[in-house]
Amino acid sequence: MSVSSALQKLASYRVNNNRASQEVFKRGSIILKSGTSPRGEEGWAFLEQLALAAIDLDRLDVADVCIKQLADKFPESPRVDVLTGIRMEASESPETVLEYYQTLLQADSTNAAAWKRRISVLRNTGRIEKATEDLIQYLDTFYSDPEAWLELADIYITNRQYTSGLQALSHALILNPQNPFTFVQFAETAYTAGDLPLSLKMYLVAVDMIERDIDSPDSRPPSSLAFRAWWGVKLCSRHLVDSASASSPSNTAVPKNLKAVDELATERVLSAYKGEKLAEQRKLVEKWISLN
Amino acid sequence: MASNAVSLYLDPQIRDWVLFPITLVMSPPQKLSRNALREQRALARSQILRASAARSPLPPQLFTSISDELGEAFAAGTYLKDGPPKGDTPARPPNPLTDPSAMDGMMAGMKTQMVMMVPQMVIMGWINFFFQGFVLIKLPFPLTLGFKSMLQRGIETPDMDVRWVSSLSWYFLNFFGLNGLYRLLLGGDNAADSSKDMSATPFATTNAAPAGPQDYNKLFKAERDNLEFANGVYSWIGDGVEDRVLRRYNRLP
Repeated sequence: MSVSSALQKLASYRVNNNRASQEVFKRGSIILKSGTSPRGEEGWAFLEQLALAAIDLDRLDVADVCIKQLADKFPESPRVDVLTGIRMEASESPETVLEYYQTLLQADSTNAAAWKRRISVLRNTGRIEKATEDLIQYLDTFYSDPEAWLELADIYITNRQYTSGLQALSHALILNPQNPFTFVQFAETAYTAGDLPLSLKMYLVAVDMIERDIDSPDSRPPSSLAFRAWWGVKLCSRHLVDSASASSPSNTAVPKNLKAVDELATERVLSAYKGEKLAEQRKLVEKWISLN
Repeated sequence: MASNAVSLYLDPQIRDWVLFPITLVMSPPQKLSRNALREQRALARSQILRASAARSPLPPQLFTSISDELGEAFAAGTYLKDGPPKGDTPARPPNPLTDPSAMDGMMAGMKTQMVMMVPQMVIMGWINFFFQGFVLIKLPFPLTLGFKSMLQRGIETPDMDVRWVSSLSWYFLNFFGLNGLYRLLLGGDNAADSSKDMSATPFATTNAAPAGPQDYNKLFKAERDNLEFANGVYSWIGDGVEDRVLRRYNRLP
């Protein structure tokens, strides 16, 4: 494996936001050992990437080498400061790390990355209440961070506070109104919260969004996320067909042509189970559907 | 590049000791406190909500809850850097021309204008004194002769390629050109926007509400009206979605 091709691969990982720590470490440490680490901007980005991958794989020695080079080059950089913090998280006690982030935040109260790391440490060490409080405060300052809204929703949902979870998710939705994944997550949360009409609508919105650009969607099985959304539609419509008077805390109306939606959902779900391999599963699903 | 045959060769020292210092001097370091940042970004919240209001991803209940919450916060001044305004501030500033004490405020505005001008003049003097006639940088794209007076101020050579930029021109380019970049990076109403000092007359700026928290208070109040308008055009993307999906599969008559 030549160094230049390895570098190219690593750069593509960075562009696509692909973590792939194993791969990054394997290729990265070859480059680091060969001593031909790239100069200039790309070189520093590479060192940061390798440091993070090395921390993931518990090769702190390699991470230290990278961070040392970065810290020598950018002594005041908040980005390197946060990287150092992540490295400390791997070996130091949570208290030490929290204190470190606290000093970073005291120096610059708008250091969003340090703030987010502190929230993550708080959550990981079980201080959920403090983490939630901190995260809400963070979002009050940096409203337009969909990642943080999703994290807040996740905290609420794992604590079974579905109404608050839905509220947090709705902020993620308006920040990313084009992202069907958020719609599916919203629908799933509404389903868990027992608001089936709302859940059904949101699943349908996701389906509508994913299949918008497909010419004749009925000619092929649903793609991965659409499949999940169709399953959601089926789950909701199945319940709603049974009990006409479904409760909806959000006052969402049940669609008039529910019957047609239910039939279409059945077809779409079954169309994904095709061929020899899936025959067994198909039988199970068919049985489940006929139980209605 | 073939055209390099008749090109100039610039001493790399010019880059390090002239180009970078001028750019650096022209870009004031910006550090905002957390509350200032929050104030600056508060408008974005309602703008984000409004952007998708006509086809909103949010069901009515959630949309109204966010919209109401924002409207109340704007009305109460929750997002203001120094907290909600005190009750005793007058609702409308009196006309400055009828109020003798307000004339002082206007003069003060002009004075600050002058004070703001001084550093700019000092910087320009510094560049003119030390780097007069320096060629700093070559633009990576060709330009017509019309740009010559803009890019090569201070150098009187009729034959030089227009792509070369002189030190004084680099100063002006930074002075006016970086503002767009600041606006992009720091949001609409940041302090680094120096073009405001130049383009507006002193009287105009004092009339257009004094800078600071009050300014934002006004913006927030205006944003409330926008929010109400957004409430009017609101519709949920989930309305009729089942029909849209069924139609795509030809299940609707």
